[in-house]
Amino acid sequence: MRFPRFFTKKRGHRRTDSHAWGSFAEGLFYALLVGAGIVFGLLLVTGAVSYAPADPDSVVLQRGYEWWMWLLTLLIPLALLAFGGSGLVRVVRTWGKSQEHRAAASKTVILDGLAGASPVVPGHPGVPSCDNLENSPGIVLRYRLPLESPENWTLVGFGLFALLWNAVVVVLAVGVGADLIRGTTDWLLIGLLVPFVAVGVGGVVLFVRAAILSTSVGPTHVEISDHPLVPGVSYDVRLGQGGAHLFRSIDLGLELEETATFRQGTDTRTQRLVVRRVPVSRWQRVQPVPGGSFEARVAVTIPADAMHSFSSENNAVQWRIVVRALPDRWPEFTRVFPVVVLPVKAAVPTASTETVESLE
Amino acid sequence: MNAADAQHGDDHIPASTAQPFPRIELRFGHPGRGYDPGEWVTVEYCIDGLNGERPRALERSALWYTEGKGEEDLGVHSFERFATAETIDRVVPEGTFAIQLPTSPLSYEGVIVKIRWCIRLRVFFESGRDHVSEHVFNVGRVPPSILP
Repeated sequence: MRFPRFFTKKRGHRRTDSHAWGSFAEGLFYALLVGAGIVFGLLLVTGAVSYAPADPDSVVLQRGYEWWMWLLTLLIPLALLAFGGSGLVRVVRTWGKSQEHRAAASKTVILDGLAGASPVVPGHPGVPSCDNLENSPGIVLRYRLPLESPENWTLVGFGLFALLWNAVVVVLAVGVGADLIRGTTDWLLIGLLVPFVAVGVGGVVLFVRAAILSTSVGPTHVEISDHPLVPGVSYDVRLGQGGAHLFRSIDLGLELEETATFRQGTDTRTQRLVVRRVPVSRWQRVQPVPGGSFEARVAVTIPADAMHSFSSENNAVQWRIVVRALPDRWPEFTRVFPVVVLPVKAAVPTASTETVESLE
Repeated sequence: MNAADAQHGDDHIPASTAQPFPRIELRFGHPGRGYDPGEWVTVEYCIDGLNGERPRALERSALWYTEGKGEEDLGVHSFERFATAETIDRVVPEGTFAIQLPTSPLSYEGVIVKIRWCIRLRVFFESGRDHVSEHVFNVGRVPPSILP
């Protein structure tokens, strides 16, 4: 039996720590938690038996704690024991097992499915579930696709920032006002207040601008004749664009986006990259009907060689219908409607279940 | 033959005292190693260079994993472990097996996300060391992605 290396080579050019050392350190951490829980609990329990300083010969067994007080007192050591114990059991269960063995074993644990990757389309491992995309019926076509717009999150972000920042400004302003009422002037506080007010006003302006941008151009609706989609098949798509402005152009197309989540130091970052664009239709000089909206119906064909939608814990490949519009007096905006594309149908019978065997 | 053998990272032996690692040769039923989803993959393998050292266990698995910018994800489709003397004698030093592929995920050569399918054979020895051999194959015919 040899001592495991501290650093080992991973696939490709990346170098990572040894799994054995990692498991050992993890086990040590959980063992320390269990030890701390035991020591802490024993100290609390034994601390209950003491003596009265005035009468050292008498042992005090009762300190007046109710049962709920005991429960509250033992909550921390019990939590340490539970957390450390469950972690230790997990480390012991996976100790010495290969990466494949651990992955296969995790599929058999029911709870892992609840805490693990997102749900998939039945019979299609790795293809993300499309339940959330099919729960809204369309007016003309079968489904109305949900909007995934980063503009909405930007609006929420600006709103939260403006709210929190200006709350701080109000607290400072109340302090300055109170000083002025008392007849004193705190120039340091006033000097601090000026840049805070400037940033607060800027935050409100940004929020109002984002709110106007997102509401003035009108809502975008996309309906589709069927879902999930299959490569090589055409689908009817209905586009509805509201608004009272003239649009210089409206583009509708398909995009394939790759998403990769990775850790950089202590940060977790996500990179998105559009790797395929399929233009479908372009309209120019569009003027929606006053009080109504611009309506168009086109056929969208999923490329026959298209990669299917894929989603795992840290990686994803996602198809989406993208609407880009350029209003006459407003900046261009993009609205995204995710769809799920299934793999091309196999010509041979499909595998019914995955095989996980252990011949001990 | 594809012999993408790799020494397991937990092993490090000075060259003078190191025991040679076995060489695992594996042959796919399809010479081009390209399969359609749902198709059966038949595999023949041969483990050479055991030098009389008895394996403690053998693991055979078919799995997909991701490569690229993101953290690696892995999905095991088929896993078999042979850990008793009787079962090991059946599968070492040579053996065959077949698995039926699922409908997805397909092999994919993206820009920042790649999906690869492979057969892995992992040999565990009595001394505690282990040796893994990985053999990549393709599922489906999705062309590589190129930035627009």
